[in-house]
Amino acid sequence: MSKYNFIVIDDSELDCYIAEKMIRYSGLSEDVKCFTGANEALQYVKDKDVAENDLQTVVILDVLMPIMSGFDYMDEFDKLPPEVKRKYQVIALTSSMNRNDIERIRSYDSVFDILDKPLSAESIAVLLSKL
Amino acid sequence: MPEKIKILYVDDESNNLIGFKASFRLDYTVYIASTAEEAHDILDKHSDIRIIFCDQRMPHKTGVEFFEEVRQKNALPIRILITGYTDIEAVIDAINRGNIFRYVKKPWVDADIISAIEEANKFYTASSLLAVKNSELQIAYNELDKFAYSVSHDIRGPLSGILGAIRVVKHLDSIEDMKEMLYLMENSVKKLDTFILSVHDYYNLQRGELKIVEIDLEKVVKDLKDIYNIYSNANEITFTTFVKQSEVFRCDETSLKLILNNLLSNAFKYQRKGNTHKEVELIAEVDKSIAYFSIKDNGIGIAQNHLGEIFNLFYRATTTEAGSGFGLYNVKDALLKLNGEIKVESVVDEGATFKVSIPSK
Repeated sequence: MSKYNFIVIDDSELDCYIAEKMIRYSGLSEDVKCFTGANEALQYVKDKDVAENDLQTVVILDVLMPIMSGFDYMDEFDKLPPEVKRKYQVIALTSSMNRNDIERIRSYDSVFDILDKPLSAESIAVLLSKL
Repeated sequence: MPEKIKILYVDDESNNLIGFKASFRLDYTVYIASTAEEAHDILDKHSDIRIIFCDQRMPHKTGVEFFEEVRQKNALPIRILITGYTDIEAVIDAINRGNIFRYVKKPWVDADIISAIEEANKFYTASSLLAVKNSELQIAYNELDKFAYSVSHDIRGPLSGILGAIRVVKHLDSIEDMKEMLYLMENSVKKLDTFILSVHDYYNLQRGELKIVEIDLEKVVKDLKDIYNIYSNANEITFTTFVKQSEVFRCDETSLKLILNNLLSNAFKYQRKGNTHKEVELIAEVDKSIAYFSIKDNGIGIAQNHLGEIFNLFYRATTTEAGSGFGLYNVKDALLKLNGEIKVESVVDEGATFKVSIPSK
C-alpha cells in the first residue's frame, strides 16, 4: 500500500493529538502535520509548492471550529488551482450529529468522506483503502 | 382603576351612533364611524381597540364584508354584528366563516350590548394571552434548537476526545506518554465540566427570579479575590482591586456574581504566554445609584471584527483556550435582566477592558 502525507485540522489540541497518534499507528503515513487553526492550515497549503511526484495528502478536517470553520476552510480551498487541489483528499471529521452540517460538508466536491469522532486506527485504514 | 375597554361602533345612521356613544361612553372608550373607510382609519390609528360593533346594512358595504376586511388586517379585535332578524342568513354565514364572534339583534337594548362587551372582552384577553404565550414558546423553541445543536458538539466533543485518548493509551508503553495523555484527558473533562456549569447558569438566568438585596461591594470583591488569588499566584498574574462605595447599591447578588465571575475568569484565562507582567484589575464604584465595574487585563485582546459578536451564544473568537461560548452570553443576559450595560474596548496583544454599569434597584 502506498503512503500518504497527512494534515490534521482541529481546534481541540487533544483531538489533534489523537488523530496524529492514530494516523501513525495505521503505518500508512509519511508525514503528519497538525493545526489547531484552519487559517494556519490553509496558509500552509497555499505556501507549499506542488510537484508532480508528491505524495497524496489526506486532510482530516474538523467541521465546527471557532474563527474559521471547516465550511470556511472548504470555501477557501475550493478557490485554489486544480493542480493543487488534486494533491489533497479532504476527510471531514465531526462530533456533530446535526444532519444539516453533515449534508453541507458532504456537498463540497473536494470532501471525499465523513468520519465520526474519535478517529481510530481502523477507520483510517478502511478509509485509505477506499482512496 | 384599569384602563377603559376601547370599542368601535360602525353604523351609517348617525342617530344610532350618537345613541350608542351616549349610552356607553362612561364605562368604555367609544369610537364611532359612519362608513367602513372611516372605521378603517380609526382602527389604523388605534390598534388597541378590542371590540368592533358593526351594523349589517350599510349603503356601500355590508357589515359582514367590512368584518372580512378587518380580519385580514388584524384578527385580534372581537367583531360583533348588529342586525335585524331579516338578515339571519347573512349572520349564520358570517359566524360559520369565523368572521364574527356573536351578533346583537336590532333594535338593541343596553343589557345585550353590555353582556356582549363583557363576553367579548374575556375572549379577547384569553386570545391575546395565547398570542403572547405562543410567541414566548416560539422563542423558547428557537433557543432549544440552538441549544440541542451546540450540545451535540460541546458535550460530545470533549467526550469523544476522552474516548480517543483512551484508545491511544492502549497503544502506549511508556508511563511518561500515558501521563501526558492523562493531562490532556483532564483538560477535556474540565472543559465538559465548565460547559455543564454554564448550562446551569444559563437556565438559572432564564427561569430564575431576581432576589434584590443590598450589596456590600467590599465583600463581593473580597470573595472574588479569595477565589482568584490561587489562580493569580499559580500563574504569576498581578490581581489588583479597587472598591469605592459610599451609598447603598441594591441588586440581585447571584446575577452580579455571575457577571463579575465570567468577566474575571476571561481576564485570567486569555493572557498572553510569555508576558512577564500579566495583570488583571477590577474596579467597583457606586455613584448616584449606579454601580460601575471595570475589568481590565493586558492579555491577548479581541480583534475589532470579533467585538460585535462576542456576546452571541456559542460564539468563540479564539481557539487557544477552553471556552464554552456561553460565558459572555450569560453576562449579557444577566445584564439585560438588571437593566445594566456593558462596553468593551480592546487592542489585540495589549488587552481588553470590559466596563459594566448597573443601576441600583
